[in-house]
Amino acid sequence: MTLLQISNLQKYYKDVNAVDSISFDVKKGEVFGLLGPNGAGKSTTISMISTLIKPTSGQITYNGESILENPKAIQQKLGVVPQEIALYPSLSGYENLKFWGHSYGLRGNELKNRIAEVAEIIGLKDRLKKKIEKYSGGMKRRINIGAALLHKPELLIMDEPTVGIDPQSRNHILETVLELNKQGMTIIYTSHYMEEVEFLCSRISIMDKGEIIASGTQEELIEIVKGQKKINLKFDRITKELTEKINSISYVQNIDTQDEEMVLATQNGDNIFKDLISKVSETDSNILSIDIKKPNLEAVFLHLTGRALRD
Amino acid sequence: MKVIDIILKDLKVLLTDKKTIGIMILMPVIITTILGAALSNMFSIDENKEQITIAVVKEYDYGKEVDLFINTLQSEQFSQNMNGSQMMNITEQIMKFNMEEMFFKNFLENEDIKGILNYKVIEKEEAKSLLDQNKISSIVILPDKFIYDMYMNFSTPFRNEIYIEVIGGSANYIHNQIVEGIMKGFSEKVSSLIIGKNVYLQIGTAEGIDMSTLFSYKNVIDDISKTLESANITLKTEKVNRKKPLSSFQFYAAAMTAMYILFTAGEGGKLLLEEKENLTYQRMAVAGVSKNKVVLGKYFTIFSFALLQITIMIAYSSLVLGVDWGNSILVSIITLCAAFAIAGLGTMLSAISYSCGSYKMADVFQSIIVFMLSLFGGSFMPIEVLPRIFKKTSNFIPNGVALKAYKNVMLGNGIKEILTSLLVLIAMGVIMTLISIYILKREEGWKNVKYNFAETSKIEG
Repeated sequence: MTLLQISNLQKYYKDVNAVDSISFDVKKGEVFGLLGPNGAGKSTTISMISTLIKPTSGQITYNGESILENPKAIQQKLGVVPQEIALYPSLSGYENLKFWGHSYGLRGNELKNRIAEVAEIIGLKDRLKKKIEKYSGGMKRRINIGAALLHKPELLIMDEPTVGIDPQSRNHILETVLELNKQGMTIIYTSHYMEEVEFLCSRISIMDKGEIIASGTQEELIEIVKGQKKINLKFDRITKELTEKINSISYVQNIDTQDEEMVLATQNGDNIFKDLISKVSETDSNILSIDIKKPNLEAVFLHLTGRALRD
Repeated sequence: MKVIDIILKDLKVLLTDKKTIGIMILMPVIITTILGAALSNMFSIDENKEQITIAVVKEYDYGKEVDLFINTLQSEQFSQNMNGSQMMNITEQIMKFNMEEMFFKNFLENEDIKGILNYKVIEKEEAKSLLDQNKISSIVILPDKFIYDMYMNFSTPFRNEIYIEVIGGSANYIHNQIVEGIMKGFSEKVSSLIIGKNVYLQIGTAEGIDMSTLFSYKNVIDDISKTLESANITLKTEKVNRKKPLSSFQFYAAAMTAMYILFTAGEGGKLLLEEKENLTYQRMAVAGVSKNKVVLGKYFTIFSFALLQITIMIAYSSLVLGVDWGNSILVSIITLCAAFAIAGLGTMLSAISYSCGSYKMADVFQSIIVFMLSLFGGSFMPIEVLPRIFKKTSNFIPNGVALKAYKNVMLGNGIKEILTSLLVLIAMGVIMTLISIYILKREEGWKNVKYNFAETSKIEG
């Protein structure tokens, strides 16, 4: 069952085309991923779904009702975890959760119980008395998530919730997302970390420069690059001559370089490594390491845009 | 979400900020205590409790100057057309009139002046030393030839200028002003008498009456003496309607209260932008909290904080410093009106900061404008001792109007005397709130490129 339907959504800011006629739908009970590099238009899309900004054109419906005409149709059923920490630093975790509970009309015992439940979910049960400014980055992120869960939203939008935190907190957040989804919550998860999207999302839209360049399940997306390999090479130095030589190999479809690293998108070919080593030996550069990866979303993005996701 | 939730949250945020508490609660308390104590002398003009003590220095020699005057009078210039007995008669009449006594007994010791001034006649060096030790307020120097010139002015057609020098101490500005005022009053009285005497002599001479006859009218001398005895010197002080004047603690408690609520307006001026920059504003919008509710929340936060601030100041100054604020109902009404005006001002600053996307306006207000408003509103010095322009400007400044109203109630005045101030404060609150609404309506509200969850840099990237 389709919970959220986005049709031909556009947002222009003066001469910047932030979101360009995108369409996708989110089904009830799924974790939907929006994958794309910084500046792809993910946050603008989320701001429009959250009723924060009006689209230039297009339609957004929630449960069949237009949220552009009736924002209230989604507001009470939606939880948003913004990319930045949207909390009051000088108040405690408990006071923040209490305030955000009030913002959704929760009061008295109901609010108290929900704060306790949410504290349990985000793993900060005994640490709510501290002021937010005294929390670590990971703890702040967790409270940031907790504030969006108090009113038991049907749809939770998480905008890059793991940016800048330690691996332990990151794992906790990812597990929390899966747990919430198990409990029946529909989640839109945006990230530029491919692994997170691969780990969490059943369906994914890949965005770049305001457009959706591919949509589908992971399998469907990887099918795009079927028969391709992604090879990560590390050199002592990358010269123009080296790039030209490698580019002349017929199996190489795309080259992306950053610092001393080179990511190749190649068609499967029997002699790929032989040719590669032969071409490198014709130059002054030396290979320091080779990493061959199975086709994944990164490869899909590289294939579609000619750039790596980290760009 | 209810507006009260936003108010309580904002108050909590403000009250957990040590800097805010320091500036807005502790500073006025400390400054009132320090200024009230340090400048108490400046305000101590209650005649029942304290008199102004001055030193009078005589630089003249009474005997020599009298002799000099008699010699001048009996010189050919004056004694022409008069025989010896007539001359003796005039001299006798004039000498009945003791010029020194006239200054000290008839003037300085008359009932009105005695109630204000104490004087002692001492040498100049001793007087300077006492002034340095703040044991006297001022030194009045009666110059060389004072007696001679006085006799000449009162009994001949000549008019010699007399300079009475007043040296003021640095400790008590108001006392100096009073002493100067009294001496000025003396000079003016003497001048008017001299003019009267000259007219009398001129008319008499024109009518062909000789000098000896003119001075034989005993009542001429008596009139001069009586006029000086009844010298009413009007003092321009804090006394309003002859009621008990304000003490320094009273003045500074009201003045600092009126000044420091301006800081609340400045701090309130940052509230909306802080929400916007913290993205909490946007988070509320996502939850369906309307912009009007948020702005109303900010308005009442500033209102409540100003109320709290004033209440603390009143409680502290009453309980610790013994300040009598006057009728508590009237004080409460002024407090509500002042908080209303400050809430309007704070919301207006908040709207401007939000609109500009910068704290500059609120920062400039707190660092510069507050002090200018305080100066022009009379929070640093009583408006009565400042130039006239300050009195005029204070009527258009919230702190000036609030201070005026508080002072009126402290002096025992009623609602009639503070009604204009109350209406002005309400009008200020209404006007500034309307300006805020106008500014915020021009804004797109939450729909702001920079501050939606997507940042501009990312969109452009």
